[in-house]
Order: sequence, then C-alpha cells, then structure tokens
Amino acid sequence: MTPTDRDRGRDLDALLEALTAVPGLSGHESDMADCLTEQLGPLVDSHWRDPMGNWLGRRAPRPAPAAGAAPAPRLLLSAHMDAIGFMVTAVEDGGFLRFTGLGGWDPRLLLAQPVTVLGARPLPGVVGSRPPHVLGPELSGKVLPPDELFIDVGLPEAEVRAAVRVGDVIAPRRPLQRLQGRRRAGRALDNRASLAALILAMDLLARREHQAEILLLATVQEEVGLRGARPGVWELVADAAVVLDVTFAVQTGVSDVPGSLGGGPLIGVGPNMHPVIERRLRQLAAAAELKHGREPLAGPSGTDAWAFQVAAAGLPTGLISVPIRYMHSPVETVDLADIERAGRLLAEFAAAFDAALVDDLVGELHGVTED
Amino acid sequence: MTPDSKPHADFRDLLEALCHVWGPSGHEDRVRALLLELIAPHVDETRVDALGNLIAVRHAAAGGAKGTGVEAPRIMVAAHMDEIGVVVTHVDQDGFLRFGPVGGILTGNLIGTRVTFEDGTVGVIGAEKRADQAKAPTLDELFIDVGADDAAAVTQRVGDMAAFHHRLDWSGGRPIAPNHDDRIGCVMLVAALRRFKPGPNTLVAVFSTQEEVGTRGAETAAYGVAPQLAIALDITGAGDTPKAPPLALKLGAGAAVKVKDGGMIASPALRRLMEERAQAAGIPYQLEVLTGGTTDARAMQTSRAGVPAGAISVPTRYGHSPSQVIDLADVQAGVDLLLALLEGDVSGLLGSGLTGSGMTGAG
Repeated sequence: MTPTDRDRGRDLDALLEALTAVPGLSGHESDMADCLTEQLGPLVDSHWRDPMGNWLGRRAPRPAPAAGAAPAPRLLLSAHMDAIGFMVTAVEDGGFLRFTGLGGWDPRLLLAQPVTVLGARPLPGVVGSRPPHVLGPELSGKVLPPDELFIDVGLPEAEVRAAVRVGDVIAPRRPLQRLQGRRRAGRALDNRASLAALILAMDLLARREHQAEILLLATVQEEVGLRGARPGVWELVADAAVVLDVTFAVQTGVSDVPGSLGGGPLIGVGPNMHPVIERRLRQLAAAAELKHGREPLAGPSGTDAWAFQVAAAGLPTGLISVPIRYMHSPVETVDLADIERAGRLLAEFAAAFDAALVDDLVGELHGVTED
Repeated sequence: MTPDSKPHADFRDLLEALCHVWGPSGHEDRVRALLLELIAPHVDETRVDALGNLIAVRHAAAGGAKGTGVEAPRIMVAAHMDEIGVVVTHVDQDGFLRFGPVGGILTGNLIGTRVTFEDGTVGVIGAEKRADQAKAPTLDELFIDVGADDAAAVTQRVGDMAAFHHRLDWSGGRPIAPNHDDRIGCVMLVAALRRFKPGPNTLVAVFSTQEEVGTRGAETAAYGVAPQLAIALDITGAGDTPKAPPLALKLGAGAAVKVKDGGMIASPALRRLMEERAQAAGIPYQLEVLTGGTTDARAMQTSRAGVPAGAISVPTRYGHSPSQVIDLADVQAGVDLLLALLEGDVSGLLGSGLTGSGMTGAG
C-alpha cells in the first residue's frame, strides 16, 4: 500500500503556500472553494455550495451510530475563505488603472505593491505614483490619497483596454516567504492560516472516532462585513459552532494583546462566545499540553462568530484565533506551530463533542453549572 | 413640440407623476397608492407587507420553467419608494425649526434649499453665522424657516418630516429632480411591468420602503418573497463632471451594471449574465464600481440562505442633492436590460453548484 500524504502528515509549508497562492478575493471566492474541495473533499462524506458561494461539507459520526440511536450532536467548524484585495474602478489614458479596496486596507501600504490584475488573463502589475521629487510640499512624506495612486501593468493602452475592465479584481502578488525558523510571511494569512488549521484538524479527526456529525463551512465575504456567515448557517442545523480566525500578535508598538507568535492559539472569551465552549476549549488545551492563551473580547469579535451567534434561533459559538503580526498587510506573519496547535485543539474539541456537552450549553445559561 | 412627440414619452409621464409625490422614509403611503394604481392592470396579484412594501407578482407562463411543471424561478426586483428628507427635532420660541437627517443628507447642499411638509407647508433652510463660511455647515448650524413669527404660529411638531421641495425641470433633455433617487427606479419597474411578457420566470416587483435609512423594507420583503434571484433598480454616481473623483460612469452611456458598491459585491455570475444579455440585444451598458453607498440589493443578497443579487443603476449627477440629474437613454437601457434578463432563461445561475439545498460530490 502506498502511503498517502495524510499518512505521512501534511507538509504544512506546502499547504499554506497552496492556500495563499489562490486569490480568493471577497465576493469572488469560487477559486478558493475549488481549492477546498481538493483539500477537504476526501475528508468529508459530502460537500456543496450555497447561493452565496459558501463552501459546506458534512462528515457523519465515526463509527456510525446504532440503528434507533438518538440523533448525533452536530458541530459546525467554520473559517472564512475570502481575502482582501482590490478592484479596478477606471482604465485611464495611457492604460493606467485606478482602483479601490476590496475589504479593509491600510492606506499607508498601497504604494509600490506588486499585484496581479485578474483581467481576461492574469496581468502582473505594480502600484505606482509620482516620484518624491515632483510630489510637492503638500504631499511629500504623507500618505498618498487614492487619486495619486494607480496600477501599471506595462502594456500599451489599447492592450490594457482589451484585457482589463472596470470591476476586475486585483490580488496582491506575494508568494509565501519563509522567514527564519517556522515563521512565514505573506498575503491572506487572514484567513488562510485558519483554513490550514481547519484542514489539519480534519486530518486528525479522520483518524479518530467522533460521536458528532461534523459540519464544515468556509464562508465568503467576511472581510466586507460578515456577509456570508448568516446565510451560510441558514439551512444548517447545528448544536454549536467553533470559528477559526486570526488575531493580533505582540509586535513592536502592539504590546497590550494576549497573543504572541509561537505562543499558541487564543481562545476567545466574552459575550460573543458561549462560556461552556470557551471553558471546554481551555480544558482540552490544558489536557493535551497545548500552548494557548485566552483572548478577552468585550464586544463584537469582528469575526463570523458575531453573525453566527444570533443567526436563526441562535447558535452557541466559540472562537479560536491564530495570532499574526501586521494584520491586513501583504506581509502578515505567522508561526507554523500556532497553526498546528489550533488544528490539534479543534480536533480535540470535535472528537470530544457529545450529547452531554450539548446539554451543558443550555444548562449553563439556566444556572446549572458543571466545571 | 408636445411632450408626446419627445423621445421616452412614457418615462416622462411616469416621472412627472412620481416625482411630485411626497414620501420621505417611513412615510411612503402616497407613493404606494399611486404605484398601486399604475401597476394594477399589469400584475396578477398585489399585497402590502407589515413594513409597507408594495409587493406585486406577475406569474411565469403556465407550465412553469420550460413546461416541466417545476416551479418557475422567482426573481425579486426592488425599487424603493422613499426619498431622503429631514425631521423636526425642536421648535424654538422664535418659530424656527431645528431638524435631523432622514437618510444621507449632505449639509453642503442644504443652505437655501426648500423643503415641503406633509401638509404642503414649504420651508427654507437657513444657516447661523459661522466663523468659516466656506466650510459646509453642520446640522446644528441649520434651521428651517416656515414663515412663522413665533412658536405659536408654527403648525409643525417635533417628529414631522419634510422632503426636498418637489420640482421637475428639463435641461438639455435631461430631467432634474430632488428624488430621482429612487423614483426613477420606480419608473423603470412600472415600465417593465407594462412590457413584461410571461415566460420562464415569475417576476416579483417590490416597491420598497425605508431604503434610505438602511435598506429596511427590502430586508423584510425579501424574507417574505424568498426569491431565487434579486435585482435592485436604483441610482448610482457619475464621474463625468469637472474634477470628479475617478468613477467610470457617464450620463447617456448606458445602464450601469453593478459590480460593487459600498455595501455589497454583486454576484459575479449574475453580473456576467446581465452583460451577456446586454451584448446579445445591443443594449448599451457600463460597469459600476461605486465606493460609497448601497442599494436594496445589499439586504436581498443575505436574506435567508443567501440570494444571488445585483443591481441595474442609473448614472446620476449630484445624488442626494435637491437637483439630481439623469439621462433617459440610461433609463431606457436599464428597462431593456431588465426585461432581457427577466424574459430569458436564468436557470444557469441557479445551477453551477449554487443551488440552495442540494448536495453534490461525495467524498
């Protein structure tokens, strides 16, 4: 028998490179959904897409419950699959492209970015502006406003007009960089780092027994306002959900956050997170001797968990976050060990998810506690 | 030349009728009554939901899609009835009214603007003396003068709303009105209902309420209608005036097919289908990437389990001002495009792995 990738364990570098190479921009995620079909398809019993373009999968309990047994508890594991990018707003004289952000960009980071314009064919381009010598005193040394920036793909105007139209999307062109040790930098680690963790978790779960039916949901359009999450769970019936996303890691100038690169995933705590799920995640992380932290989120978590919690009749939700530096930049930086730990923690939670925990989800809120 | 001999006479008549009806957000009754009268001969059924949305159904040809007996795809097309305005927050002892916004009021457009209350009272917006007259005033610095000498002479009360004074002018053949947003969408939807020939799809025309205060009517209408496809008809910006911000939209260059706006990304598959239909029928169109503002399509898109949604927009100069300018050639193109879409086969959009509840591909 030939050993498969999964028997050997996945090459996390190769997985992350594959996930970050797919544009998968907000509202245009079908390429990312295809990639997930390839990566997760063998690990689920069925998979499909909904009208928003969300990718969904289902894995039945292993082993199958006895005939006449109570219905299996249902656990939803979710991460958003869209990434921030840009969109063409105008093709101007000379073939220069004007553009707007797709999702939240830091305006300081636009100049001099290498990009790929996804026109009739992919066109490498650069974000250009006037040289500093001719900027004039008002703009010199300042963050340039959008009307000072354009994309140059290096083609004559007629060829640009033939290949690029208003509304075409643009991805940052940044292959994953291997920094020292297990640190990696690149675009879209928000949220491809989480998708990698989700895939690792399903690899682990596929080798174990689990009483729960596992539902997978990779959402669209999180970066433009949590747009995919609520429709995504509309037709799913789940007892609980765990969302994977990224959060801030300590870096120069950012010291008041609980996460750090290599410090393990963060378990969200606050009104958006169900206390029973939060507690169980911490217990499981401690029992498995997994480095982890606790992330207080006093209000909206800024993740799909915020939309899930109040979707339909309400969905108890937990949040696991992978710490990254330089959020929403083309050099988001992660430690591979944190992705592995997030994947292991998620697998532990999914394997242990049972009817008793589902009972606790309600019991806790009615004053029946168990710790 | 009589109006009837001018091009787009039907749009002119509908605009004349609809632009002069008072209807700030939440107060769409008069607009709804007129629309009901206009569409009644052309629809199979109508209803009004709890938020005041007027919902009209025009069924597909008998036999469903391609005579298979399968229920025909339901396409929801929304145009909003409400217009932006102001609401009285305080009446001072000298008889001046202070006010708040109803929808996206731009204070730079307000000084000297006339507004009309529900009872027909006309007021004019004035401003306090300001340190820097060159800067746009804040709402706090503005007031409405209704010609009263003191508070006792004021008939308006806190909570009363006013719309920009209704007036429709024509300049260079282009209509100027304070409420093209979105009476022109209503005009387009009425015109489409008049021309619609039952085919493979059921058309659910929704004249929605409270769009300007957050697409509130479309949200409940979409829940009730549960469409398989959704299209909004609304205005958008234009980038063809002196030193306009970069926006590749021109008056008279065709219907705007929305790619993205400040609130939503249109379904790429629906947008492509709109383009194909426009190209096949020789309908002029432009692609719209608007960086601010949104339409009812935003609310319809995330209704229930999600709905492929897009919009056909009318390029508009000076949106949300008392003098909005459009070109009827773009309106004509928009109606033609809408009908080309509604009367054709849309099943390709509902398939391609994007069906609601089906499952494909086993592991």
